[in-house]
Amino acid sequence: MKRKTREAIAGYLFALPIIITVITFTIYPIFAAFYYSFTDYNPLNAQNLETKFNPQEALELHLGVFQSEVSSVDEIIDSFDLLSFIKYDVGVNLDKTKEKIVLESFDVKKLLKDFVDGKLNKEVKVSSFMAKYLKKGEKYFKKYIPNFLGPYNFKKMLGDQYFKISLFNTFFYTIVVVPVQTFLALVLAVAANAKMKGVKFFKLTFFIPSITSSAAISMIFWMIYSKPGILNRLLGYFGFEPIAWLENPNTALPAVMLMNIWTTAGYFMITFLAGLQDIPRSIYEAAQIDGATPGKIFWKIILPLLRPQILFVATMGTIGCMQVFDQIYFLIKNMRNITISFYIYKNAFEYGNMGYASALSLVLFAIILALTLIQKKFIKESY
Amino acid sequence: MRKAFLIVFLSALVVSLSFAVTTVTISGWPGNPDEEAAIKAAVDEFNSTHKDIQVEWEPIPGNYLETLKTRISAGTAPDIFYVDVYFFEELARKNVLLPLDLYIKRDNFDLSTYFEPLVEAFRFNNRIYGIAKDFSTLALFYNKEIFDKYNVPYPTSNDTWFDFLDKALQLKRKGFETPLVLAADFNRVIPFILGASGKLVDDQLNTALDTPASRFGLKFYIDMVTKYKVAVEPQEVGAGWIGEALGKEKVAMAMTGPWTIGFLRGSYPDVYKKIGVVEMPSLIKKVTMVYTVAWSINRNTSKKAEAWEVLKYLVTRGQEIFVEGAGVLASRKDIAAKDTDPIKVPFYKGAEYAYPWRVPTPTGIFSVANDQINSRLKDLFYGKITLDEALKQIKGNYLDWVSGK
Repeated sequence: MKRKTREAIAGYLFALPIIITVITFTIYPIFAAFYYSFTDYNPLNAQNLETKFNPQEALELHLGVFQSEVSSVDEIIDSFDLLSFIKYDVGVNLDKTKEKIVLESFDVKKLLKDFVDGKLNKEVKVSSFMAKYLKKGEKYFKKYIPNFLGPYNFKKMLGDQYFKISLFNTFFYTIVVVPVQTFLALVLAVAANAKMKGVKFFKLTFFIPSITSSAAISMIFWMIYSKPGILNRLLGYFGFEPIAWLENPNTALPAVMLMNIWTTAGYFMITFLAGLQDIPRSIYEAAQIDGATPGKIFWKIILPLLRPQILFVATMGTIGCMQVFDQIYFLIKNMRNITISFYIYKNAFEYGNMGYASALSLVLFAIILALTLIQKKFIKESY
Repeated sequence: MRKAFLIVFLSALVVSLSFAVTTVTISGWPGNPDEEAAIKAAVDEFNSTHKDIQVEWEPIPGNYLETLKTRISAGTAPDIFYVDVYFFEELARKNVLLPLDLYIKRDNFDLSTYFEPLVEAFRFNNRIYGIAKDFSTLALFYNKEIFDKYNVPYPTSNDTWFDFLDKALQLKRKGFETPLVLAADFNRVIPFILGASGKLVDDQLNTALDTPASRFGLKFYIDMVTKYKVAVEPQEVGAGWIGEALGKEKVAMAMTGPWTIGFLRGSYPDVYKKIGVVEMPSLIKKVTMVYTVAWSINRNTSKKAEAWEVLKYLVTRGQEIFVEGAGVLASRKDIAAKDTDPIKVPFYKGAEYAYPWRVPTPTGIFSVANDQINSRLKDLFYGKITLDEALKQIKGNYLDWVSGK
């Protein structure tokens, strides 16, 4: 073997754990979501055909007699109802097509004969049971395959009120939060870059919210925003009526936005700080010699030179805001103020509409992709 | 050396096989400390009396139904778990619960010792999929001290809606600003809808909320918040839920269930002494809600027979321990008869005319509709839409919401 090949093999071997992880947990789910968005996948069906059961007990339950009391097929054939037996006693979730297959090709005689002969008293998988007694069409009962719906899930969004509400909320959230937090982060970074006493303390203070768990922050803000909370008490000194900020559908989302700006500004400050430290001192000095005011330096030197960082922060901020979930999950108790990722979660795990949830997340993905491309176009990278 | 190892290993294997113990995992949502202690006591008693079966209690904290569904779909669900009547039909319809009829018949297990509405609550397609572990009904809690202070007569079990409203208005007039706490929760409105002789669904299982009687009950509930301004949401008084508002003495009255008793006793023992409980106010007929939770067996478990043994224990002797320790209401009549705590009387009375929290739909799925209706209730509480607009939206979309697509 050549040295180069050997090196490559060794390299891939070292990288193998992460390659496998990325494929199974990132790449496969992306493609799976794409597939599921065209189906009616319901997680409760997933184990349906894997379930083990005892056919004799199922039949005893269905017929209402114990196997030992039966001596011939004729005794029981009249009280046997095929569809209800398969649906409820064996427990197969049937749709219309599968119902038809069962009615046409299930071998009732063979089953009842085996029952009378006492051959059924052992646990089997539902799928192998169906394979044994179906004359044809058993491939539909091998494992759970969701129905293919075509673009149904995407069409459904057009008429879905909460899709529109949550999408609107998400855009509203992003449009307010991203510019404000970017600007705030920039100002904080410039302040933290100044040469003065105690600057480390301020850096730390600005940064701490972004490394605190969002659950903890949400709980604190829940208390701040509650009706007898500190915010209302402060506003009370100025004569404002107390408001339950998070319960009132008009104020809930802005309240969460404010919290999010406060949390993330410090994080992006670090990015800007790194950018600022990249700007050579000589440029500032030259500008000062030419008589530039601090304001001019900020607008004409710092801002243009921080362009790559601004693009990065704006992009990451947009992606983060479009996907905002945890704060909404903790603080919003009102369907009118939900965002799209929370709606995806609700559909997937609460309503059991995994297919629709996948379709929603594809739409979210498309929107974020489009936004990022637009941003790239407007703020040119200058490497 | 190696031989010695092999012998030790083999004998260990033989020993462990001959004392094979089946572990049955039971699961639900974690309760308050009293409930946790009671269920642990029940499990311990079972484990000490059974050698071949051992029970393990593994509660699922947080979003119970979401977690349970995910684990069912992955094939890792517990052997026995709580099933709330609210989502029972959805699970039964998807064949993830084990029908118990055969075991009941085989063991001559007597279901008639359980309150009938509670047995029926877990029947689907003529099969029993769970046995009620306990139940709760709603009743009216009131704070005697506040009523005394403002010199307003206490609520009684025979109060009509208008007596009830009048007492709240009196409190308000005399200076107690927040007499009543209400939640924007559809299930809490149901007693008012049914109490006005309204219906939830019509014969085709479409919504009947827009029929005059139902509308009247709905309107009364919302008017208490918007028109008479005698009721607030718990968050308005800085409480997380109704029981907490009562415990903080921010409100004089609340319609809630027996779980509030245990909570008050534990967290606000001083307030608990001032609390009285009466039956729900009525209009045309007495109505309250019954919430009940069953123990059901996972259809996919490999230990069906053992699970049935455990379930049988949990709903008989286990229930006795639970009722004593956690202050819940017994679903078994003989255990209920032993339960003579006077504060529980209005709840047991309620069981006679209670409506189970299970709205029939063509697919068994009500969660989407529930969210949608709750969201509109919230809007109504805040005056964002009118009742007619809300009802029109509900009527227009209802069949979509329950379609499960």
